[in-house]
Amino acid sequence: MSLVLDSIKISLGTVQLFKPLSLTAPPGSIVTLMGPSGCGKSTLLASICGMLDPGFSFSGTIALNGRPLNGIEMEHRKVGILFQDDLLFPHLDVFGNMAFGLPARMSRRQKRERVNNSLAAAGLEGFGARDIATLSGGQKSRVSLLRALLAEPEAILLDEPFSKLDENLRGSIKQFVFDQIGLMNIPALMVTHDRSDSADGTYIELK
Amino acid sequence: MAYCPKRLLSIVIVMLTIMLNLAPALARDWPQIIAAARGQTVYFNGWGGSEVINRYISWAAGQVNQRYGITVKHVKVADIGDVVSRILAEKSGGRTSGGSVDLMWINGENFHAMKDNGLLLPPYTQMFPNYRLVDTENKVSTLFDFTVPVDNQESPWGMAQLVFLYDSEVVNDPPSTMAELLEFCKDHKGRFSYPAPPDFYGTTFIKQALLELTGERELLYKPVDIGKFDQVTAPLWVFLDALHPHLWRGGKAQPKSAPEMKRLLADREIFISLSFNPAEASNAIATGELPESIRTYVHEGGTIGNTHFLAIPFNSSAQEGAMVLADFLLSPEAQARKSDPSIWGDPTVLALAKLSPEQRTLFDTISLGVASLSPEELGPVILEPHASWVTAIEKEWLKRYSK
Amino acid sequence: MAEALFKIAVSAMSGRRNRLKIFPALTLAVFLLPILVGLLFTWAPAFGYLSAAGSNRFSLEPFATLLHHPSLPGALRSTFISGIGASLMSLGLALWIAATLYGSRLWSTIELSLAPLLSLPHAAFAIGFSFLIAPSGWLIRSVSPFPSGFTYPPDWTTNGDPWAISLTLTMLFKETPFLLLMIFSGLSRLDVRRTIWVGRSLGYHRLRIWTRLIIPQLYPMLRLPLLAVLAYSLSVVDLAYIIGPSLPPTLAVLIDRWFHDPDISSRFVGAAGALLLLLVTLACISSALVLEYLISKIASRKILDGRRKSPFELLVGSGSFYALILLGVNVLSLTALMLWSVAHSWRFPHFFPARFSFSNWSTALSHLLEPVFVSALAAFLSCLLAIILVVGCFENEQNLARSRIDSISQRSLWIIYLPLLIPQISFLFGIQVLLIIFNLEGSWGTLIWIHLVFVLPYVFLTLANTYRSYDQRYSYVGTALGARPLRSFFRVKLIMLTKPILFSMAVGFGVSIAQYLPTLYVGAGRFATITTETVSLASGSDRRVMAVYALSQFLLALTGFLTAIVLPAIMFRNRRAMQN
Repeated sequence: MSLVLDSIKISLGTVQLFKPLSLTAPPGSIVTLMGPSGCGKSTLLASICGMLDPGFSFSGTIALNGRPLNGIEMEHRKVGILFQDDLLFPHLDVFGNMAFGLPARMSRRQKRERVNNSLAAAGLEGFGARDIATLSGGQKSRVSLLRALLAEPEAILLDEPFSKLDENLRGSIKQFVFDQIGLMNIPALMVTHDRSDSADGTYIELK
Repeated sequence: MAYCPKRLLSIVIVMLTIMLNLAPALARDWPQIIAAARGQTVYFNGWGGSEVINRYISWAAGQVNQRYGITVKHVKVADIGDVVSRILAEKSGGRTSGGSVDLMWINGENFHAMKDNGLLLPPYTQMFPNYRLVDTENKVSTLFDFTVPVDNQESPWGMAQLVFLYDSEVVNDPPSTMAELLEFCKDHKGRFSYPAPPDFYGTTFIKQALLELTGERELLYKPVDIGKFDQVTAPLWVFLDALHPHLWRGGKAQPKSAPEMKRLLADREIFISLSFNPAEASNAIATGELPESIRTYVHEGGTIGNTHFLAIPFNSSAQEGAMVLADFLLSPEAQARKSDPSIWGDPTVLALAKLSPEQRTLFDTISLGVASLSPEELGPVILEPHASWVTAIEKEWLKRYSK
Repeated sequence: MAEALFKIAVSAMSGRRNRLKIFPALTLAVFLLPILVGLLFTWAPAFGYLSAAGSNRFSLEPFATLLHHPSLPGALRSTFISGIGASLMSLGLALWIAATLYGSRLWSTIELSLAPLLSLPHAAFAIGFSFLIAPSGWLIRSVSPFPSGFTYPPDWTTNGDPWAISLTLTMLFKETPFLLLMIFSGLSRLDVRRTIWVGRSLGYHRLRIWTRLIIPQLYPMLRLPLLAVLAYSLSVVDLAYIIGPSLPPTLAVLIDRWFHDPDISSRFVGAAGALLLLLVTLACISSALVLEYLISKIASRKILDGRRKSPFELLVGSGSFYALILLGVNVLSLTALMLWSVAHSWRFPHFFPARFSFSNWSTALSHLLEPVFVSALAAFLSCLLAIILVVGCFENEQNLARSRIDSISQRSLWIIYLPLLIPQISFLFGIQVLLIIFNLEGSWGTLIWIHLVFVLPYVFLTLANTYRSYDQRYSYVGTALGARPLRSFFRVKLIMLTKPILFSMAVGFGVSIAQYLPTLYVGAGRFATITTETVSLASGSDRRVMAVYALSQFLLALTGFLTAIVLPAIMFRNRRAMQN
């Protein structure tokens, strides 16, 4: 039950973005990838999701829980993503944003219950009807993570998730994210340029 | 804009302007007019759909500039009705002088409308030196424009006669009556049409059919008698009802204009088209617009003919210049050039008998063109019926075929 | 005039910021009054008032005549089919292409082809397209005489069909590029790539992501362009003449004919028709808004049903098919025009002209100079004024937003879209009368003003999204580094926005060049533009000359776009970040 990357190479034309990368992220753990901006961190995440722009070439294998992801449409990969910008949908309220991630088989009532429980657990009780624009940065981050997790992904990718947050919020949000991922018991891969973002101080340098 | 005193006032202003402005102009003799014209800019508004005609006008503009110091600006329009509209708007706005149009190419219904609504300059063509050469005796339509007396309020410019163009590659024996045309259409389904009225050419085709088919032609030259309308026009509707299913596209669509017909003839979609210019085929062959195989024919007993004119609006700001230009366009030199099929091919309004021998040679040297008919072959000209018939027929036609 | 306005603009910005408020007021003055008065003057004859024809009594007879006119029902039918059909279909096509092709190479190709597509004038496209689909046209020639066996064109009804299908298609192909432009501009304000990314990571198919996430955010920016397309399609005259039905024609063509009918009493019916067309347009616009409301109601109920798959998934591939047809039809129509312009004779069934000749160009060239100059000057000046007014309005808007002041004139700015939503024919006659009364017609000032009326809304529409999403912090940085606000506005903001500003000016340039009726009605025959010359030649028969003029019109508009693309590329050749 883990996310395994095996000798991943990405190049743009003849330029290879980083040295071949192999890693294994076990469930419940957060593997941190470090590297200066422009080293291809986000491109790596795009390739894991299957969102690589035309023009890039890719080699290597990606497997999630033993199932190869290469060639699978992104919507079937069950890989969640969290960006530094929250990317909440402005035309939906908080409930709408979170329920958007829930599966179709659930009834309306079940969805409401599930979202409310999730909001309550995240200290956002009663926020369902709130307009996205009225939320603070920290609240947006939490809603954004909750939305990704409600879709029940089998792995989650974090693209500099804390870099836009205020210093005083950072610690608590970080803790919140790590706790939630731990609860879900899924592998997570985080790219960042700030080594203090790392969960346990260990990281892999992307070169 | 609508209450009475203001309108009265504007009428008074119109009268005053006419008296102040024109009375001296009318009293002046031609050399004085030529002198006054020098330095004027004449806005000549006319249909601009033909490069051949545009080129001719631009030649004439160059000539009057050289000879009389007049600048001619050719305002090319898609429909002269737009210009009538503008003059009407100028009148509505109280513009009784300094109007935007100095000379316009016009005839028939547009002339009628302008005359009725007082949009034309009072009589003036009798002063033109070249007006004496006009063949008013044999070309009656130079005096009566669609039965409306011209009264010297427009200057004859060219003659027109309805002719049919056909592709001799596929048509050996062109029809010579409406009945034969119907037979032709039955044999060649979809290879003929006529422009949908109120297009000028479409209306002319219908008038031609009516004149040929009705037993009571003389009634058509009097104002329409509603009581007799059905009786007089019955043969026309029988003919058209029979013709329409055999027209191009089964009569479900019709060309919007004669120029569109000309394109269809060139494209081989139709085999017979129509024109008001007996030399149009020759001219179009010369420019490559129509193929060499196109020829011209007319119906037995003659076809509708009329005259097109140049008119000066009541509020023209360069009346003298417009008169000099109109007179120049009436000169044997300009008329001869115009009638040359390799230039334009528009028949002259002048009487060759009234010309001096030198002037006549200008015409004699013009070759008729491969596809034109000689004056004898063209046959008699039938005059346009009274204008009131046109309105009534168009209305009935719309009711029957344009729903 | 342009210079004076520029000075006002400069002094307004250098002084206290609230002087900016003259921009919305000035902009409205350009529009509101003349159009309202124009409408009233146009309507007067509908109620029996036309002093030039000696009629000064209230009467509803024009309406009675109009309603009993035998051609009216058929004309209304064609108008509805082509107007509503073309606008809904072009919206559908543009969105479908966007949803299925976003991010692909073809999508970038479409973005690059927008400039030439928008440069091709409507009438020119219609002439080319008509030649393409006619029974004697290029498509049938390509299979004739072999293998079709046609030595003469078949007697089929393709172009100018009585059901107005060919007219609808013409407008579909011509309006879709405009809506695509608006989509490109709208999408620039949304983070589409990552929205798709998040949506797919939540398991949604890309079509679902468009209908549930992107279109709901995009549509508000497409509403006005769509309504403009709707109003245009309902009231278009030149296209309907070229490729519309004939028995009867559309309502707009009927009105146009009545307005220049030799029988002056037709002006009364024409005026009544113009009023009817305005009502028809307003009714269609309201219906579109009601429809939008209903769809958004239904959609908002379904948006959270959690269904990931779309029933149309299998059709995704058709997007490239439609896009290629759209591009292909335009390319072929343009190619046909090019061939005609160098043809001597070209009859059915020849696929290429039998004889070529460059005399069409060489004889036209000397006649082309003046109209090209007049068109270019009028277009350039009206664009310049438009961009000053538009930028001033945006600055005022941002200024007000910062200080949270509500302003009536700023809120009323939607009025500048009126000229796009009201049929031209319903107010131009009135404006003409108005100008004549004040002795203003036929002057450069008036010509540029009337062009401005139509150019400004397009410049506004095209620039709005980019201008509003400009990151104001760049200017703050400029100011913080010691530049005065005005200096930082000119040196930082305008420079950074050079590309979108020039592009919106190019759109306006093209719009100005294409103006026919407005030039005709206010120009008093004093201004021969490339378009008035083309339209008058289009009333003739010679396709070769028409092609020369139509192509010149195209090239002139294209020059505007090329300038907008090349100029910034040269200015910023050493600044990679400014290339996109």
